[in-house]
This record gives sequence, C-alpha cells and structure tokens, in this order.
Amino acid sequence: MKRWIVIAIVIAISSLLPLALDARGYWIRVLALTLLFAAMAQAWNIVGGLANQLSLGHAAFFGIGAYTSTILLVKFGITPWLGMLAGGALGALAALAIAIPTMPLRGHYFALATLAFSEVMRVIANVWTSLTGGPGGLSVPFLPPSLSAYSFKLLRPHAYIALIALIVVTLIFEIIRRSAMGYRLRAIKEDSAAAEVIGINTTKVKMQAAVLSGALMAMLGTLYAQIAVFFDPDTVFGVASISIRVALITIIGGVGTAIGPILGAFFIIPLEEVMNELLSSRAAGLSQLVFGIILIAVILWRPRGFVTVIKPTGRASL
Amino acid sequence: MAGAATPGSAASQQKTPAKCRARCGTHSHNRVRNTEGRRKREGGMSKNVQSQVKGLNRRTLFAGTVSLLAMPSVLHSAHAATPVINVGVIMPLSGANAQFGINSRNGIELVADEINAAGGIKELGGAKINLIVADSTSTPTTAGTVAQRLITQNDVVAILGAFASSLTIAISEVTERQDVPLLTMSFADQITGRGYKNIFQVVAKASVIGKAQLDYTAAIAQAAGAKIDKIAIMYEDTAYGTAQAGGLRAGAKAANIEIVMDDAYPLGITDATPLINKLRTSGAQAVFPVSYLNDSLLIIRTMRQQRITIPAVGGAAGYVIPDFEKGLGEFAENVLSIAPANYDLAPGLTERFRKRFGYFMVHEALEHAVCLEVLVQAIEKAKSAKAQDVVATLHGAKFTHGWTRAMPGGTVEFDQTGLNTLSVPLMVQWRNKELVTVWPKDIAKSEAKWQS
Repeated sequence: MKRWIVIAIVIAISSLLPLALDARGYWIRVLALTLLFAAMAQAWNIVGGLANQLSLGHAAFFGIGAYTSTILLVKFGITPWLGMLAGGALGALAALAIAIPTMPLRGHYFALATLAFSEVMRVIANVWTSLTGGPGGLSVPFLPPSLSAYSFKLLRPHAYIALIALIVVTLIFEIIRRSAMGYRLRAIKEDSAAAEVIGINTTKVKMQAAVLSGALMAMLGTLYAQIAVFFDPDTVFGVASISIRVALITIIGGVGTAIGPILGAFFIIPLEEVMNELLSSRAAGLSQLVFGIILIAVILWRPRGFVTVIKPTGRASL
Repeated sequence: MAGAATPGSAASQQKTPAKCRARCGTHSHNRVRNTEGRRKREGGMSKNVQSQVKGLNRRTLFAGTVSLLAMPSVLHSAHAATPVINVGVIMPLSGANAQFGINSRNGIELVADEINAAGGIKELGGAKINLIVADSTSTPTTAGTVAQRLITQNDVVAILGAFASSLTIAISEVTERQDVPLLTMSFADQITGRGYKNIFQVVAKASVIGKAQLDYTAAIAQAAGAKIDKIAIMYEDTAYGTAQAGGLRAGAKAANIEIVMDDAYPLGITDATPLINKLRTSGAQAVFPVSYLNDSLLIIRTMRQQRITIPAVGGAAGYVIPDFEKGLGEFAENVLSIAPANYDLAPGLTERFRKRFGYFMVHEALEHAVCLEVLVQAIEKAKSAKAQDVVATLHGAKFTHGWTRAMPGGTVEFDQTGLNTLSVPLMVQWRNKELVTVWPKDIAKSEAKWQS
C-alpha cells in the first residue's frame, strides 16, 4: 500500500516538472531526452536485466523505429503514430531474426553478435541512399503543430509523451518481472543449466524477452526522431551514442530493477549536459574526460548501481 | 524552506558573469574568461588543473540539480540590459573533427576581438560582441541540444557553425523552429535545399563545388596541353563526401569524361592500399579524393609511395589545412584541391590570423570570419539585435566591406533560400608549404602546374 503512494507521488511530481520548465527552453529538451533515455534503458532492461543477456546492439531496433516512422511520414505522409506501430512490428521482426541465431550464445559472444548486427544496420542505412537518405541523414518535415500529426513547435508535449512512454515501458517491465515469465527469466539468470533441467525452455523464454524489448526500443526510436527532427545513420545506429549508453544507464542505476534505469538516466543525461555547458569551451575533450572520471568513481562507489542507495540489500525489486 | 533558498543562490551565480561582461568590456569576449573570473572571486581557487577538476565535480553536480529546479526564475533574470550582444558559436571542439572546429573558432574570435577593439557595434551604442562558444562533439543530437541551450539560456542573436554538415543540419532544425538565424560554411546541399528561412550558407553548395573540382581540373589540364578522358573518384561515405562525389559525377558526365573508378569508403580507414591498388590498374589520368584529414594523408602517401604520379585533386576539408603538409612533407607539393576560399586572395586581412595563431588562415576559419562579419553588418544595417530583424536584413542586403572582401566573389548576397549566390569555388595548389590560388584564371595568383 505504502509503495503505491510513493509511486503516485513520483508520477505526480514528474508530470508537474514539464510545466515548471520554460517551454521554449533548453532544460525541457534535456528533460524530454532524459525521460526518453530512461524508457530506452528500461526496454533494454527486459533483455539485459531480466534475461541477463548483455546486448550491445539495441541501437539496431532503435534505428529501425526511427527510420520506419520517418520514411513513412516523408514518403507517404503517414502520421508518426502509425509509423511507430509499424516500426515496433519491424523491430520485433528484427529482434526475432537476430535472436534465433544468437540467443543460444552467452556472455561476450552474445554481446559481440548484437554489436555486429547494429553495425550491419548502420552500413545498410548508409548505402541504401534512395530509401534512407544515406549519410546525409533524414529530416522530419516541419508540419503545422497538431497532436494527430505528432508535430509541436515547443517541446513540452514531447516531454509528456516521453513520460507516458517511460511509465508504459516500466509497467510492462514490472508485469513481466512479477509474472511466471519473470520467474523463468530469473531462473535462467541464476543458473541456465538448472533452469533447463526443471523444464524451462530457456531459448524460447529469452527469445520472448528479446522480441518484446526490440519492439519497444523501435517504438521509442519514433519518439526520438520526433524530438531530434534530424538524424543520420551514425546517430541512431551508433554504438556509443545509443547501444552502450542505454546499457550504461541501466548498469549505473541498477540492472534488473524497475527504478534502476530511471535513476541512471536522471543521473547521466543531465550530467553530460552540465559537463558540456561548463567545460566544453575550456579545453577540447575536457567535459568527456571529467564525465568519464565521474562515471568510474560512481561505479567504484556503487558497483551494483544507485538502486543500492535506496535499498542497501540490493534485492532485485522496486 | 530549502526550496525557497536555492533559486535565489542559483540566480546570483548566474548573474555574476553578466556583471563581469559589462565591467570587463573588451576583455571579456568569451565565456571561458567570464567563468574564470567568477571562480577567482568566489574564493581564489588554485590554478592547478587537478584541483579545478575536483572542485568542479561537486560544483557541477550541485549546479546541475539546483539549476534544473530554478531554471524558470533564472531565465528571466539573465536578460539584464547589458551593452553586449551574445553570439552563439557551436563547433566540434572534440572528436574526429576537432581540428576544423578549433580553426573555425579561431577565425571567429579574431573578428570578434577586432570589432570590439574598434568600438563594437556603432548603431547600438558600441555594444560589444560576446561569443558563447559550445562544443557540439560529433553527434547531431548534442549539436541540437546545445543550440537550444544557447538560444534560450544565453539569448543569442544568431548562431555560427558547425563545420560538419550533419551537425549544421541538426542545429538548423532548432534555429528554424526558434526563429534564430544560423550562419554556416558547411557545404551540403540540404542545408539551403529545405526551404528554411533562418539559415544562411556563405559558400557554394557541395554539388557545385564537386562540379567545379572537375571542370577546373579539365581546364587546367587543357591549358597545360594535356587532355583527360579517364578519372577516378574516391570519397568517404559522409554527407559531405557523397554530395561532393555527386557533383563530380555530374561534371564528368557533362564533359564526356569516363569515370573508371568510383569508390566510397568508411570514414577513418586505416589502410588505403586496396583503394590505391585499384587506382593503379584503373588507367585514370587524374584522381579526385574527397575526405577529411587522416584519410587524405593515407591516400596521398600510399599513392606516392607506390610511385603513382597522376595529379591528385582533393576535395577541400583535409587537403587544405597545414596538417596536410605537415603529415606528408614533400609528398604534398603540387597536390591540387578545390576550396571555397583561400587566404592568398586577401593577405591584408588573413595575415592578421597568421600573426595571432601562427599558421595560415585556413578556409573554414576565413569563411566563419565572414559569417560573423556579415552578421555584424546586418545588425548595423537593421539597427537592431532582434533575431527576426537580423534575418530580414540578411535576406535583402548586399554585404561588401570588411572580411567579405576575402571571399572569391568579394561580396556576400543571400537569395531566398539563404545561399550566397556570389560565391565561386577556386582551385588551390600546394607550393612550398603554402596554398596558392591557381584557378579561375582571372583571380589566380600563380599558374597551375599540371604534374604530381
């Protein structure tokens, strides 16, 4: 009972935050990106946290989503809301296609296979110029603002959409975690061989998690495209800018917990911005250097993530 | 209680640099110095870098949290009526294109200091230019976020930047929605090809530059009594490389020249041997490589080591900066390159850059200097530093004096799309560690040498 009150308060505060920030402003963009990255990290958490499969290729699904909705919008005038569903379906298909050969792999082999997959997608987006615009990237056309066209002049609606996305993805994560599938995934995480012995089809369960995670990630790609309004293959299929970043956010916050990705995103994204604002005009690369030092310090301080500050036992729960 | 105290302290922190800007006048043209001033006043922190970094950890974490909460109140208080005009400068100061970003920033700082020293913007009571420099890194998302920050936090009248086309396009999406002018020297065709009204491109488009790269080469060969009918193109698969390669292809088709090799390669290759082997067997009489610095060094070095002596005609970027000659030594001699501008056309202006920074004024520095010059002239003409007044003036007027004289056309005039219609590309050639303009003939400083 008490926990639900806490959650209600957190949601109430976060829905007031966009109102407190200047709608023309910079911090509302940072807030929108932070909420979006929290949702992306949560989607990653389904595979990386529950199934314990360290994916370094989630940019592949993200980019598929961003490109699908934007291409549908540019070429056929289809609203990004429908584009998002199409992107989600393609993301699920791609996740299935990559999961079939890679899910039996474990540890670094799985990480490397997923990494390679996202690189393949990046190269395809670069060379298939007639469809994707190639290295020149794609711009989302500047349409008259309306909710049905998913086009706004100011960023406040984007922040709310990202907030709703975060709540939805977090709910999905939490439902899975508490369901029979969650228990199966945890059994696989603890000891895959033992899980097989007690009758869990480990590959099938992991594959379900991967497909769901890929579909959600692709849908979030649409949100990103609408906020950033311009992207190129290196941005949405980027290893460092997307794949590693969502993994990092979850790890810093606390892998396998619902609150971890949210804590991680609210730490990392604003920190990057503040570093850039304060240090980037001083010396080339200084902001990234300091950012890196802070990350190392944080990981040394809380190896199991920020979540252990709230729950010192580190038990995997909210 | 705590909530009531924090916005106040954050506001006073933000106000201090504004006061400093007003007081220090000409000396405080950029953010770096302002922040340093603040630090000194706040408690004489050691100059030792280590302790600065440590101090910033706590401070930035704190400032980040506080400013996130207090932002609405700070925003309104930061508009204090000071006689400074904030101009945003967004450049890749770290990452793969850092060298170009730093060159560009140097060019802009030179002009800003000169204008401030000469009494600032006269029509606005001698207002000083205050550059707000920010790092876009090499990710378009960051560039867009930084643009948003400069517009809303620093209230900039315009933004200059950001060298790489993908970064410039990302920034333009923000400036267009926020109605703030963006002046750039990025080449890509999409920049002015989207019908946006707040963007201004002072150089010719990539497709025009690519076509000129071919046309000028054919003309130079003909003047030397040679004829080319087979060429090779190799380009990196970035926005700039692909657009310029498109221009080269169009030029070759129009001139009835056969393209015997047409290869894209990923940015940052570590070995150019496969490309050069293919070039060797292709039978090309000239090669057109389009790339940033590292690839340009690899390509030319591998070519010359394999004693392939056909002329190489680079596509600006990596081929026209001092590091090219430093990295290649005598192999750089006589390499040709297309360029949107060159310093030897206006030595009276550009030697001031060499005197201050110790190297010749590379074209990106020159064109960014022109961007700031044009912006200041537009503010003078509009007698206003409101973004939309400046945009209106930029669209209508002709800009003729100051640094605009360093452009090949000598004048800058933007059409409805924001493209400078008077800019013509030119051909330069490496001669004894310097770049010499060799084509078109009417502005050439020396005759082109058609040899490797």
